[in-house]
Order: sequence, then C-alpha cells, then structure tokens
Amino acid sequence: MAGVLDYLQFVLAPQVITGLALGVAVVLVALGLTIIFGLLDVINMAHGEFYALGAFIALALGWLGIPFWALLVLVPIAMVPIGYIVERGLIQRVFHSGERHVTTLLLTFGLGLVLEDSLRLVFGPNPYRPETPIRGAVEIFGIFLPTYRLFLIVTGAVIIAAVAFVVYRTRLGAIVRAAAFDRHMAASLGVPVEQVYAGAFAFGIALAGLAGVLLAPIYSVFPTMGRDFILMAFTVVIVGGMGSILGAVVAGLLLTQVQSIASLYISPVWTDPIVFGIMVLTLMVRPQGLFGRLGHG
Amino acid sequence: MADPRAERSYDGVLRRDRLTRAMRASNLLLAALVVAALVFAAVGAAVDDTFYLRLATEALIFAGLALSVDILLGYTGLLSLGQAMYFGFGAYLSALLLMAVPSVWVALGVTAAAALVLGLIGGLIANRVRGVYFALITFGMAQVAAKVVYNTRALGASDGLLGVPVVDIGFGIGTISSASPAGFFLFTLGVIVALYIAAAYLLDTPFGRLLIALRANERRVPFLGYRTTAARLGAYVFAALIAALSGALYPMLRGFVSPELLFFATSGNAVIAVVTGGVGTLVGALYGSVLLTMLKSVIGSWTEHHLIVIGILFMAIVIFLPRGLMGLVRPKLMRLLGYREKP
Repeated sequence: MAGVLDYLQFVLAPQVITGLALGVAVVLVALGLTIIFGLLDVINMAHGEFYALGAFIALALGWLGIPFWALLVLVPIAMVPIGYIVERGLIQRVFHSGERHVTTLLLTFGLGLVLEDSLRLVFGPNPYRPETPIRGAVEIFGIFLPTYRLFLIVTGAVIIAAVAFVVYRTRLGAIVRAAAFDRHMAASLGVPVEQVYAGAFAFGIALAGLAGVLLAPIYSVFPTMGRDFILMAFTVVIVGGMGSILGAVVAGLLLTQVQSIASLYISPVWTDPIVFGIMVLTLMVRPQGLFGRLGHG
Repeated sequence: MADPRAERSYDGVLRRDRLTRAMRASNLLLAALVVAALVFAAVGAAVDDTFYLRLATEALIFAGLALSVDILLGYTGLLSLGQAMYFGFGAYLSALLLMAVPSVWVALGVTAAAALVLGLIGGLIANRVRGVYFALITFGMAQVAAKVVYNTRALGASDGLLGVPVVDIGFGIGTISSASPAGFFLFTLGVIVALYIAAAYLLDTPFGRLLIALRANERRVPFLGYRTTAARLGAYVFAALIAALSGALYPMLRGFVSPELLFFATSGNAVIAVVTGGVGTLVGALYGSVLLTMLKSVIGSWTEHHLIVIGILFMAIVIFLPRGLMGLVRPKLMRLLGYREKP
C-alpha cells in the first residue's frame, strides 16, 4: 500500500504537474490557431514561427534590461500590430479566392519560412537559454516542484479563463462569435467584420507570442523552436475541434497528460505516435473533433 | 464519336476537348525540358563536369516528388503536406536493398510494391477527412514518421544510412554506373519522364476526369454514379508510388540517406515547386523543381539565407500569380494547339 502511495506521490504526481505546465502552454498556442481558424477559416502555418518570434522579442528586450514581468505584457502588445499587418496586407489579398483554405495555408507557410530564416539571420542558429525569472522550488505534499512551472500553470490558466470569458461572456465576444457564425448577417447588422477578422488574427498571434515568452525559460530559444511545438498544437486543435475554444483547452490538457504519463513507461520517442494515434481515432469517430466550432452551438 | 474526349464544335470540326489539349500542351513543354536536359548532359559530359550534373540529377529526383504533390493537389484537390514520408520511405528502403542486393531494378521493384502497401494504409487514414484536415493529417503522419526514423538506431538515427554502394544499372545491351554523373543523370531523366508519362496518361483517362471532377465538386460526383472514395484512394496511392520511386533514386545518387529527406522541409519544397511551376499542369512541377534548385544554388552562392528570398518569392506567386509559371505559358500554347486539329 505504501508502495502505491509513494509511486503516486513521487513518480506520477511530478509527471502530471510537468505535463500540466506543458499543456497550458500548448493550449495557449492552440487557442490562437483555433480562434484564427474558427473566425477566418485560415490554417496559420506560420503560427509556430510567431511563437518563436515572441520568444525572440522577449529575449532581445530582456537584453535591454526590461524585467520579465513587463515582457509578459509588452511582447503580446508588440505582436498585435504585426498580426494586424499580416492579416490586412497578406491574408486579405487571397481571402476571397476560390480555394481559400489552400491559398491561405500556402501563404502563411511562405511567411513562416521568411520569419524563421529572418530570425536565424538576426540571432544566429544557436539556442539561447534565458535566465529563469523565478528561481527555486516549492514543496507541496512532499514533492519538490520548480516554482516557475507552478507560475506558468497559474498564469496560463488565468489567461485561458480570461480569453474564454471575453469570447463567451462579453459584448466583444458576442460580436466575434456572430462574425464567425455568419459574416454577411453580422456585417448587415453593423459589425465591422473586416476589423474583427484582423483583430482576431492579431489576437491569436499575440497569444502565440505570449506562449513564447512563458516557455522561453523552460525550453531554449532558437529559430526552429516553433516546429516541434506546432505539430502538438495542430493535433490538439484537430482533436478538440477546429475553431473550438473549449475543445482546444480540453484536448490540450488531455493530450499533454497522455504524452507525459506515457513517457514514464515507454521511450519518449514513441509518445508522439500515441498522441497521433489518438488524433487518427478521433478523426475516424468524430471527424469534426470533440467540440463544435466557434459560433456554432 | 469514337473518342468521348473529342467534341464537335459549331463549324463541324472535331476537336479534342480543353483538358486533353491542356495535357498536350504540358507534354510539349515536357519535350522542351527533355531537349534542354539532353543538351545540358552533353555539355556537362563534354567539359567533364560533376557538380552541376549531380545537382541537376537531384533537381530531377525532387521533381518526381513535386509531381506526386501535383497529382494530389492539382487534380484531386488534396493538399498533401507529407509527401516526404513516401519519398523518404522509398529512399531508405532503396538504400537498405542496395546494400543487400546491388541491383537497381530489384530496389525500384521492391520499393514500388512496398509503396503501394504503405500508400494504401496511409490513404485509408488520410482519406477519412477532407480539405484542411487532409493537409494537417498528412503533415502529422509525416512528422511522426520522421521523428521515429530520426530516433531509430537500426536506421542510423540522426546520421542516416551511409555507405550505399555504387551500382551498375544493366539494360541488357550495356550498363550505366550510378557513379557516372552524366550517365546517372540520363537514367534519372528517363525514370522521371517515365513517371510523368504514366501520370499524364492516367490523368487523361476517364479515371483522371473523375479526379478533376472531385476537385471541382466532390458532393456532386456521387450523383453521377461514381464512387468518390475509391477514386480518392487511387489517386493517393498513385501519388505515393511516384514519390517513393523518386525517393528510391536518391541513395543511388548520393550514396547515403538522411532523416532530412523525411522532414517537413522536403514536403514543403515540393509544394513550393508545384505552386511556382503551376498547380494542375504536371509539367509545372518539373519546371518548378528545376527552377527552385537553380535558384537555391545561385542564392546560396552569396548568402546562406536563401529561405527568405524563396519564401518572399513564393508568397508573391501565391498572391499575384496563382496559376504559376505554366499559367503564363500554357494557355498560349493551348491556343496554338487548338487550331486546325483533325481527330
């Protein structure tokens, strides 16, 4: 009996907490993806690069001596105009073409290449390791956990709750959901749909940038850091339902837990196929994902 | 009318329909490419060049991968972001086979058979979904496959498989060594042209028309009495076969295979080549791939950041030239072909 409890306390629990920290970060990235898809019908292939961009902006501002707390606010604010310009200047140009899914996907894919190589041009290919802003560890029920991971979980949860609150409980959120449900009807009721689109894109990009700031101290910062992350984010979005906020949260936490706990028993290399297998199974049973799309139901 | 693809126009002259004419225009453009390649090979052999002949051979191999992307994207309307999985599969399998049995024909034959099986499995998974989901699931499959290979010691992990022997390609009348730059260039050209001809032929049959119909409107096709799932799966398996056979040539050229062949960058480059050359033209994939390799080589000579240039160029093509380069050239050629054609 004591053995089982020890196992739960010292093996399983830390792994669950580690998975939770990763899960919160994945949800932040997936939220941006799913909002952009739910509203604009655009698969943002450059999302991982925007995540990397956020981390690099944080790194550069950190060198200027700006404290971490300020970065958590400054970086998302810096990302908003970038996202706005990308949506207005690039995506809107092909938004009304026949095969919107494919063309916008290709366009953001090209943008991702440019962004990634630009980061490599400016910062070089080698990884940077920013200092952990909160040092030390906390003891909870006899388990030692790095304080920063706990901070990440709490901050992430607050941000996710705030996003959900805005989307589902405010006037602004109602406008966004209306535009996602039927853009023409929303437009005829006076909703500035174009601005809502650009704003939603910028908001999604800002979330990716914020995830970059939060994760930089845990993982290193390097130009291709978005690549590994984006597959997980896409999987989460597909399993949760493209364009579903609730789905992104549930699937994000679920899949990272699966990955985290499975890596206790098998080589971490094989956790990706397991997560991917869950995605395939979901698609076979419920091709639309676990939850409905933004604005629908 | 014997041939359903011929149509009688208002002046009573039998003409091939627009799609067949488009395919003929593509075939003419391919002939131009082959002539250029033969001249290139002759000049290369005359000046005893190795570097550029090898580079051009690689361009042709990746052109085969682009061809498979175009069959899916340009004809069936399915964007695959994971064709590198089949390309890399072909390369790894061919490398293993060549190390065991030094015969090119065995390597190509077994790779083709195995690719059919793998393509069928992948197709059953990927064809569960449509549209963007298809793009993402192919992307995911390829990423997972790349990760597994990258971490499998038996497949050389991150180093890949080294030491693929030089092989002689026997034709009955003589042999070509895979170490000969001009000889192997010509062999690769032959294989890629054969793959093109197979694709061009297949896509001009009623099966090809069915795929085009799927791209135009998948919901209406069943009303005409056709099964859509089988056609989609067929196109997918065929594309997988072409990608794997192109990949099988890679270890013969370089003597090694590395996990990079499976990475997203490989799939992405093929998509860039297809979009640059012209989606749905087949020959555009070949031109696009050759052009992309040339561009990378030229830009790469003065900066290592060629992705910025290629990315910007690619975005410009998506925005301003959605039909690609062939979209500029081919309609003019079609107009020429359209006049005074007797059946």
